Amino acid sequence: MSDDGGWLNRYIDSLPERGWFKFLSKYVVVPYWVWREGKPKLPGGPRPSPQPSDSTQRMMNLLMPLKDTSPIGRAKAVMALAQNVDEIFAGLDNVGTVHSARFLLVEDYICMLSVYDGDFSNYIRDFIATIGSVFDDLMHLVEGGEALYPCEDNVEAFIDWVRDHDLFQAPDYAIDLFGLQDVQAGGKPNDPPHELMSLPRDLILQLHANRNISLGGGYRGYPGYSAAQLRRKLGVGW
Amino acid sequence: MADPKLVEDIVQALDVNGGSTERRPVHTVGVGAKGDFKASSVARQFCVADHFRHQKETVPVAVRFSNGMGVVDEHDGWSDVRGMAVRFDLGGGKTTDLVAMTLPVFFAPTPDTFLDFATHARPQKCQRLSPWQKIRSYLKLQLPMPDPYPGQTERANEGATAYADKNAWAQPAVLQASVIGAPVSYVRASYHAVHTFIVKGEDQTERWVRFHWQPIAGVLNTNPLADPVNTYLKADLERRLNPGTERFSLMMTLGETGDEFDDSTRQWPPHRKRVMMGTLTLRDVPTDQKTHCEKLSFNPCNLTDGIRESEDPVLKIRKEIYEYSSNRRGGTPCPFSGKGGKA
Repeated sequence: MSDDGGWLNRYIDSLPERGWFKFLSKYVVVPYWVWREGKPKLPGGPRPSPQPSDSTQRMMNLLMPLKDTSPIGRAKAVMALAQNVDEIFAGLDNVGTVHSARFLLVEDYICMLSVYDGDFSNYIRDFIATIGSVFDDLMHLVEGGEALYPCEDNVEAFIDWVRDHDLFQAPDYAIDLFGLQDVQAGGKPNDPPHELMSLPRDLILQLHANRNISLGGGYRGYPGYSAAQLRRKLGVGW
Repeated sequence: MADPKLVEDIVQALDVNGGSTERRPVHTVGVGAKGDFKASSVARQFCVADHFRHQKETVPVAVRFSNGMGVVDEHDGWSDVRGMAVRFDLGGGKTTDLVAMTLPVFFAPTPDTFLDFATHARPQKCQRLSPWQKIRSYLKLQLPMPDPYPGQTERANEGATAYADKNAWAQPAVLQASVIGAPVSYVRASYHAVHTFIVKGEDQTERWVRFHWQPIAGVLNTNPLADPVNTYLKADLERRLNPGTERFSLMMTLGETGDEFDDSTRQWPPHRKRVMMGTLTLRDVPTDQKTHCEKLSFNPCNLTDGIRESEDPVLKIRKEIYEYSSNRRGGTPCPFSGKGGKA
């Protein structure tokens, strides 16, 4: 810009990108604010809603931490899934409310990403009933999994574990983070209102509590329709 | 019928230094274009209004794109809300309007709070923060207010933010307006009609809906770190349409019970059912901009059979605010002028 305030102003503007300032922020400034205003972890999965569109095409982003993160341990996780493809596909067909589901191996996590209709707890119950044996195999390989084996005998504990490992879904509109944090802290949303300029800090503090998050509910090409509605319209027989 | 004093007060609260009572109080700088609208094959199922009913025919449209600021000087490259007002010519002297902007929410839920917001968010003198003030923001893990643009002496940012700090309902709009940027072209932005309308379908079912224009060319802003250019949007549109066309899709989102039908400060969740209602094709920038742009008087309540207003009180008062503004600046009479609110 023609009137950019001179070298000092330009230098100050560049601080967030300068190494020494990043170091200061990472090791001093952020820890100070975590100590002063740290946020509790926000729960995973979609938030309850009575509205029909919100009950279709819900997202699950399940991150399961591997006990053995060596290539051999990671290969065991891959094998546990690869040897059960028929069971997974048949089971998800039988659940009936699933739009899509896939497994990923990302760094030290085995991940299940799926899109489903209806209530979260019932979805987990259904897939324990239909592909529980696959998760039994996986539970031997993931941290905290042994206590849940066999899944069909530990349904409620397994639901809680999945909820705890399902990513927090950040609100679709950034400003709604304030309200979610208020409710998690036991208060009323936006009562009193937050300072607008504090939103970046609240986001940073939330990312300290929730290291991995889903960025909003995602895009949908045909929002508001269930898998059953689509199959009926497409005439595929079930 | 709204309180005439309230209508007048709101318009006057929107007047700013650098504006003119002979121009619009906001969205003062604009450019008009002409084109046509063609309904999609399913549009009539959801709305029987004339412009959605005839899939094989096109409806002529007049469009006014605008910068949100209420000043006569052009500052295309400044971060600002943009407007897209569309008039559908339904034939036989009948018209209907769809008034939209790049901000997906409005600043206030009621006429009284709108006046309060407009009063508090009036542009005030602005200056670059001192180095220490910026450092203090960084140490608070906040972003400092941006430097004013070259030549910018007043802006609404500080007043609007201070007001939003005390009124949570203003926060969605103020936050999004603060980061909205400048489009590389008027046809590279999405526009939202923000208010809820009630449409009647072929089967007489009424639905509560919101409309959005989506550019076929895609959304693209200028580089916010580059020097802003003051005038380029009108020339860009002329270049694109001479010769050539640009298109927008009209998307209609269907609300559900529990959504904020009468409060335009709240966006509906992004996962509501949506319907593609048609395509608008821009074909020409008329040479006579006074007639085809500045004199035109759009009104968000200029509706037609098959589409009606919701109970949103801001939508209702906008009918009279637009009428008052049109009369004050000597615009081509607004569809409601002198008719007591009937189109």
